[in-house]
Amino acid sequence: MNTKDLVENAGLKALTAVEPRDVSGVFVSDMLSDAMAGAKSGNLWITVQTHKNIVPAANLVDASAVLITSGKNVPQETLDLASQHGITILWTELPTFEMIGKLYALGLVTK
Amino acid sequence: MAECQHRWAMINQQFGFTVFEKCSHCQSVRTYFSLHDTWDEYKEGQCHWAIVENAQTFKFDLQCSNCGKVEKFDDLLGLLFCTSCIADCEVEIIRRECAKDRIFILVAFGFLPEAESQPIPERKLQILSDYFNQQRDTSRSRIKIIWFDKIKSLPLCRGEFIHDVGMFSLEAPEERKPLF
Repeated sequence: MNTKDLVENAGLKALTAVEPRDVSGVFVSDMLSDAMAGAKSGNLWITVQTHKNIVPAANLVDASAVLITSGKNVPQETLDLASQHGITILWTELPTFEMIGKLYALGLVTK
Repeated sequence: MAECQHRWAMINQQFGFTVFEKCSHCQSVRTYFSLHDTWDEYKEGQCHWAIVENAQTFKFDLQCSNCGKVEKFDDLLGLLFCTSCIADCEVEIIRRECAKDRIFILVAFGFLPEAESQPIPERKLQILSDYFNQQRDTSRSRIKIIWFDKIKSLPLCRGEFIHDVGMFSLEAPEERKPLF
């Protein structure tokens, strides 16, 4: 599945331009250090963190996109930085648990 | 015998805290890694040390999965990303130049004050860059890690460390504090 399919199939809102990337799996964490230590290239990173520092962390681990859950408001400076670095920011009102269930049903797993 | 083309993997991950403390007398900054969430203040001669920030982070080493060679990174405090705060800072100049080739710059810090006189060798910074590049699709972009001595002025730098602050609070901090 790629990021564009993901937006369509999971009913996500794209807050930045969607970079066409293959989604290799899912990594879930609200800690930057955890993502840096464990996320893999191409992973969709699911978090409620919206600070602009998610952008360099996502870039460092080469995440295919960052998905903000639970309807958290994402500051404009985070979106601007993400656009500058070609990081796709996706958004959903669903809580993390429900979103993960939906993604699992679509065939996405942790890799 | 051909030299090993190292393929690095992260090992010995240890989660803890990066502590930044500052002396109100001499204004010096010290940093260290702690396994515990510490906010102690203490006196040492004329110095009065108080914690400026205590951020969750992790330590690690790298090991080559081909030959088993281990590179220790217990001298790495963390990685900072440039926010373009000082136009003529060497980091910002390098960042702008590298951005044309889709190379993303991060600034490595060692523990202060020792790291100011004992920098992490360029060889190890290259290994760190290699590790992150080996994990990613480098046809899209690359990572380059440089040493913090290229920052024009630490007290004026508004670059941000990729670490976790305020994770024990229910309220996310609006802005991060200046650390230096």
